[in-house]
Amino acid sequence: MQITGQKIEEHRIHDKPFYLVQKNELVIAEAAYKNGIPLLLKGPTGSGKSRFMQFLAWKLQRPLITVSCHDDLSTSDLVGRYLIRGGETFWVDGPMTLAVRHGAICYLDEVVEARKDTTVVIHPLADDRRELAIEKRGELLAAPPEFMLAVSYNPGYQSVLKDMKQSTRQRFVALELGYPNADLETEIVAHESAIDEKLARLLVRIAAMTRGLKDSGLQEGASTRLLVHAGLLIKDGIEPREACQVTITQALTDDREMLNAIDEMVSSVL
Amino acid sequence: MKNGLTERLRQVIPVDRLNDWERDEIFDHLADYEPLVEKTVIEQLGILWPISSPLCFDFLGHLTKGLTCLSIEQLPDWVKGILDIYEAHGLRAAREYMDDVEAHYLCTIRGKKGLSLDEIIPRLLPYLRGLSGQSLEIQKAPSLYTDTRSVFLPREIIAPARSNDNFYLYKLLVSFLWAEIELDIYCQQQTAPEVLEDFFLSFEDQELAASCYHLLQTVRRAEFLKSYLPGLMRDGQPLFRLLLKDVDLSDSSAGPGNELATVRQWLLCCCADDPLPDLSDETAAILHQASAEKISYEDIFGATTRFYARVRLTGDFKLPAPLFFQGKLRPAEARMARLSRREEQKQQFIKALAAVIPHLSGAPETETEQTEKIQIPSINESESGAILSPMGQDGKNEQSTEEKQNDPRYICLDDGQIKVPKELRHLAREIENDLGKVPSFYIASASRMAGGRGKTPATSIQEEEGKALQGGLLYDEWDFRRRGFRKNWCMLIEKRIIATKGTFVTTTMEKYRGQILQLKRQFEMMRSQQRLVRRQQDGDDIDLDALTEAYADLRAGLVPSEDLFVRRQRDERDIAALFLVDMSSSTEGWVGTALKESLVLLSEALQSLGDRYAIYGFSGMRRSQSELFHVKTFTEPYSEEIRGRIGAISPMDYTRMGPPIRHCTKVLRDIDARVRLLLILTDGKPEDYDDYKGEYAIEDTRHALTEAKAGGIHSFCISIDKEAQDYLGYLFGDINYTFINDVKKLPLRVPEIYRTLTS
Ligand SMILES: Nc1ncnc2c1ncn2[C@@H]1O[C@H](COP(=O)(O)OP(=O)(O)OP(=O)(O)O)[C@@H](O)[C@H]1O
Ligand SMILES: [Mg+2]
Repeated sequence: MQITGQKIEEHRIHDKPFYLVQKNELVIAEAAYKNGIPLLLKGPTGSGKSRFMQFLAWKLQRPLITVSCHDDLSTSDLVGRYLIRGGETFWVDGPMTLAVRHGAICYLDEVVEARKDTTVVIHPLADDRRELAIEKRGELLAAPPEFMLAVSYNPGYQSVLKDMKQSTRQRFVALELGYPNADLETEIVAHESAIDEKLARLLVRIAAMTRGLKDSGLQEGASTRLLVHAGLLIKDGIEPREACQVTITQALTDDREMLNAIDEMVSSVL
Repeated sequence: MKNGLTERLRQVIPVDRLNDWERDEIFDHLADYEPLVEKTVIEQLGILWPISSPLCFDFLGHLTKGLTCLSIEQLPDWVKGILDIYEAHGLRAAREYMDDVEAHYLCTIRGKKGLSLDEIIPRLLPYLRGLSGQSLEIQKAPSLYTDTRSVFLPREIIAPARSNDNFYLYKLLVSFLWAEIELDIYCQQQTAPEVLEDFFLSFEDQELAASCYHLLQTVRRAEFLKSYLPGLMRDGQPLFRLLLKDVDLSDSSAGPGNELATVRQWLLCCCADDPLPDLSDETAAILHQASAEKISYEDIFGATTRFYARVRLTGDFKLPAPLFFQGKLRPAEARMARLSRREEQKQQFIKALAAVIPHLSGAPETETEQTEKIQIPSINESESGAILSPMGQDGKNEQSTEEKQNDPRYICLDDGQIKVPKELRHLAREIENDLGKVPSFYIASASRMAGGRGKTPATSIQEEEGKALQGGLLYDEWDFRRRGFRKNWCMLIEKRIIATKGTFVTTTMEKYRGQILQLKRQFEMMRSQQRLVRRQQDGDDIDLDALTEAYADLRAGLVPSEDLFVRRQRDERDIAALFLVDMSSSTEGWVGTALKESLVLLSEALQSLGDRYAIYGFSGMRRSQSELFHVKTFTEPYSEEIRGRIGAISPMDYTRMGPPIRHCTKVLRDIDARVRLLLILTDGKPEDYDDYKGEYAIEDTRHALTEAKAGGIHSFCISIDKEAQDYLGYLFGDINYTFINDVKKLPLRVPEIYRTLTS
């Protein structure tokens, strides 16, 4: 008896997601897919990793199953477990198993957040064996060619506790998704928050300024996502500087001087 | 120059009868003015001196302040006012009157309170750097200008009365100066360094030509800023309107005849977004030519020449004072800055390229890095040493920081092309901007350095070799030329630091009292980040998930797991950190103090966290005497004694990094911890008195770090330097270092970095 918790159909992407290709990522990812090599996306937060995966899944016509990793994620959470209902036990596939069974794309977001003993279950899946062991059921699932494993992480966080093991990272084709260039990013922001191009360009300009501040003590600059948020609020009638203050400035730092400096950038541009 | 000034002064003051210090005082006050200002001031001195010489000195003392508030044309009026007061109420009243120039005098730009530069730099500097995407500096100077590397700002400015935000004025000034760099008004892109100065020399009235040029460039800057930083310019509109009124009132010369004044007014209207005054056809055409979006030097020079002719033609004019936000035009300073930057870039480039050439040119001994020789068919630049850019690159696009794609990718060597390593591309682009292309001799010197090394220095080292050292702790040293270790090459001597009873630590704790409290709180929170560990044999609570699962497993006929409990786990942080502090002589002064302060703050913060840590200092001279100072070992608790030792840290000799890193690796390896961290605090690159320099030193350090890594130790470097150095990325890997260019920030940054690293 086998009842799946989630239906694979729910993971199909029917409408083309809006995604603007930055550089070679689509070509590389398709080639990786064709050759059964898993994919590692590196990049700062909000740089379009998740969106890219949706786009890729749509393009490849595969369902996309996303798992956000955290340090409590257990192997059962990924692979599946027995549950009881009405005195009966039944097995529920975890997202990973589900993806393998249906030849879907399984995307582990922020994979470094997961504990290392959890990530090892993906090892046999991520090399040329391409198989998933479901210990409890004594089952060894071979992944069909359509199955793809993808993981993402943000190398900007320098915590030594969250470094990825070499044995893990060396199984992947690695793609770096940085921030899109100014024109592309303008187009993205304009589209996503439905604001005019002129305003979008100004927002992108602010972001570019904040991204140059790593050496001055800002860990990460404003992401495309923040710009989209700012755009949405402005669209909704919030005063532009105020909108940027709450979506960009305050989101980036708590440091007083840095907050002030970013606010000054905002008020210079808008 | 001083002689000239003496001469000019002699006309109005009996200079020869003054004593030395009086003369010096006058010179000091007059040293930094433009010829025109100086002339006016000297005229006024001639009026004041016969009436009262003490008043004259007082006047000089108030001059800088006065001129931040008055335009030079208003100076005679002010002096008249001073004399009236003096004659009616005496010297003291006159002094008060001068002190209160903003209150008594009808000047447009006046404010209640000057905002000192020191107070706002922490906000202004990141603003400027974010804006420019470059590590520009802000420096204090009597006048306002940029030399393209630094922005020079007056120590104090008087904000306009109606502006509630004094900071705004500084921001405006900085933005206008940045626009000079961004629009390249000093013509530094692929030109001869003197191009601008030579251009001015071609005029009869050079001062006028420079004013014309600067004014046209300011029109360009204003229009650029209006579109690039619309918010800034919109906020400035009230201010520009005030200035406009000032021009109307005071500029008696602003008549139809005076084109300079007319354009000035036009400029202010443009900034204030007021209706633009009518211009003559010729002037309108000139402005149009000057403010076209894509413009070459020839264009702007042409416009200047036309404008100059026009101004001269209209004859009887008085050179108006530049608008305060224009700043000064300083072509000579910009040229010097450019040349020194060029020299630095050259050195950097040669060194960095030399370091990679053997890998790139596929020298026989290279095993790992494969050479990527990619031929681009459509290259016409075949000269050896040319750097080729990817196709389709043209003028700057708006985000200089985003431009990485446009950086040059290939270098032509005699035997084909090599790929420019990623780290070098940006530098190559900057050099190209300056010189048009990377000169072939840069590349030649680099390959000489790469090929020829190993010969000269090696012989001198070889003689010494063999005499292995005795006593102390012996460490090998990596010789990159022979790709092997020099056995027992260095002697490391461990030393104690004798604690001092000074006030350093208490002063530091006092100085950072608030911050220490905050740090302690933050660190405490990291400690109490309790984790619930699931699926334990026993624990504080039942793990419902596990239990359900076990039950289900049981029902399914499997052997259920017995790990059914959750446990709170506290000691998750099994971290041992070793701080290795540079005690080389270069840390003398501010850097040393900041390093010590950061150790105090760190220790205080770590107290509340409970991570194990040790502090060692290192220095030394020659391979026979590499010294390691025990400030705090892992087992010693943080105590009065340790504080005294931190206080006793003082700069010693050189920076031979290999041996201390190897030793600390050993120390850390003996510690049983889940995460072992080696944090290096330094202010420069490895270097010793003997041959331990340059590439040899870098390679040995790198190797020592690789050894540490192989031993499961994470290293991280905090470097205090004016700008990030390429070698840091090479030594530590891109994300394993950070550099701090503001020493004052160090003490707080170090604990913060530790926090990010370990959470
Ligand atoms: N190339 C792109 N095309 C279209 N939209 C994009 C692109 N890049 C970024 N975006 C926008 O940025 C937003 C954030 O992107 P996304 O959620 O994919 O980031 P992420 O890299 O997954 O971030 P995180 O690491 O925080 O999960 C998207 O919702 C989308 O609006
Ligand atoms: Mg995401």
